[in-house]
Amino acid sequence: MMKKTILQGLIIVLGFFLIWFGFSQLDFMTFFKVKERTEFVENKLGDLIWEEISNTEDVITNDTLVKTLDKLVNPICEANEIERDSLKIHIVQKDEINAFALPNNHLVVYSGLIEDCKKQEALQGVLGHEIAHIEKNHVMKKLSKEIGYTVLLSATTGGKGAQMAKEVLKMLTSSAYDRALEKEADITSVDYMIKAKIDPKPMADFMFQMAQDSKIPDGMSWIIDHPESEERAKYIMDYIKDKKLTSNETISEKEWKTFQEQLKN
Amino acid sequence: MIQETTFAYKPGEHEREKASNGYLMSLVALIAGLPLPIINLLATFFFYLANRKGTYFVRWHCTQALLSQLALLGINSASFWWTISILFTDEKASNEYFAYIFSVIIFNLLEIFSTIYAAVQTRKGKHVQFLFFGNITNLICRP
Repeated sequence: MMKKTILQGLIIVLGFFLIWFGFSQLDFMTFFKVKERTEFVENKLGDLIWEEISNTEDVITNDTLVKTLDKLVNPICEANEIERDSLKIHIVQKDEINAFALPNNHLVVYSGLIEDCKKQEALQGVLGHEIAHIEKNHVMKKLSKEIGYTVLLSATTGGKGAQMAKEVLKMLTSSAYDRALEKEADITSVDYMIKAKIDPKPMADFMFQMAQDSKIPDGMSWIIDHPESEERAKYIMDYIKDKKLTSNETISEKEWKTFQEQLKN
Repeated sequence: MIQETTFAYKPGEHEREKASNGYLMSLVALIAGLPLPIINLLATFFFYLANRKGTYFVRWHCTQALLSQLALLGINSASFWWTISILFTDEKASNEYFAYIFSVIIFNLLEIFSTIYAAVQTRKGKHVQFLFFGNITNLICRP
């Protein structure tokens, strides 16, 4: 009796797993268009947030400045097979030292951050860090985790999109990702730079500099959002310790200084 | 899957009705309690508590109804929390997830039809045993 009962129990359990296994051979993701729907939500959300920024902030459209920033980003993209056209990089005139990635591959960098970077490589490191967040899909991971996919979905389909965009923007500009995701973005950025033959040391120096300056109360968002900057600088230095580094300046020192000056004015 | 056997004695009209209600209770609670899988189990459990001092026939069928609900609780809870984690955390939907949900739906449908069938048969005074759960009930429910 006992043996028969155990056997019947096993048949039921096995039956369940067999049905599950059988079903999992079907491609439900394609059938339910999950990828397309997720992309739609991401694209719509990204555009809503960008619309909010462009309506409220002073977006720099000056051709020379945009082209100089492009020159700094292009080697990173080319060396790492990142489609440059997929990234929508914007400069916003703001004293705050901040840069952040948004859904739908938008990357926003404040003029305050560019002015504060002593070297172009530091800026390239920060940009690489944000590009890594985009490439590794950290943005949507963070939003899904903190807001929930259903809420994001309702923001893109309902009438409260603008309000939601404001809140998502606030979250993306004022809070860091998980520690693990931040570290992944840092290390990925260093890898991007090494492949592009850009020296990553100034990126670590920038973090040290930020850690020293962090007593300054206002406008330090990028570093306040990214705590333990000293620790981050250290693990970056540890990571590159044994790596063979080549140092190629993407733009001339003069062009870099002019770029910073023009932003100030 | 479901086996009709002879019971130790011929149940009376009142017993048949109570035993049949044991299944109906779980069925009604299953529908009312969706998507929270614990409701139907609780309802069946309380019905079982109320009838645990009933006649052998009534106890036997209440126990079988309770045990079969208990098995569903596990797989339904997993699907519930998996869905919640997809909706509210960074967990992503996958083919495995959809496959699991469809497997759970099939098992729930099987349970619903078996329960309806058992409710009808016990109302007629027939003794029906579910695969596995009938045997377990035989082991734990004594005259």
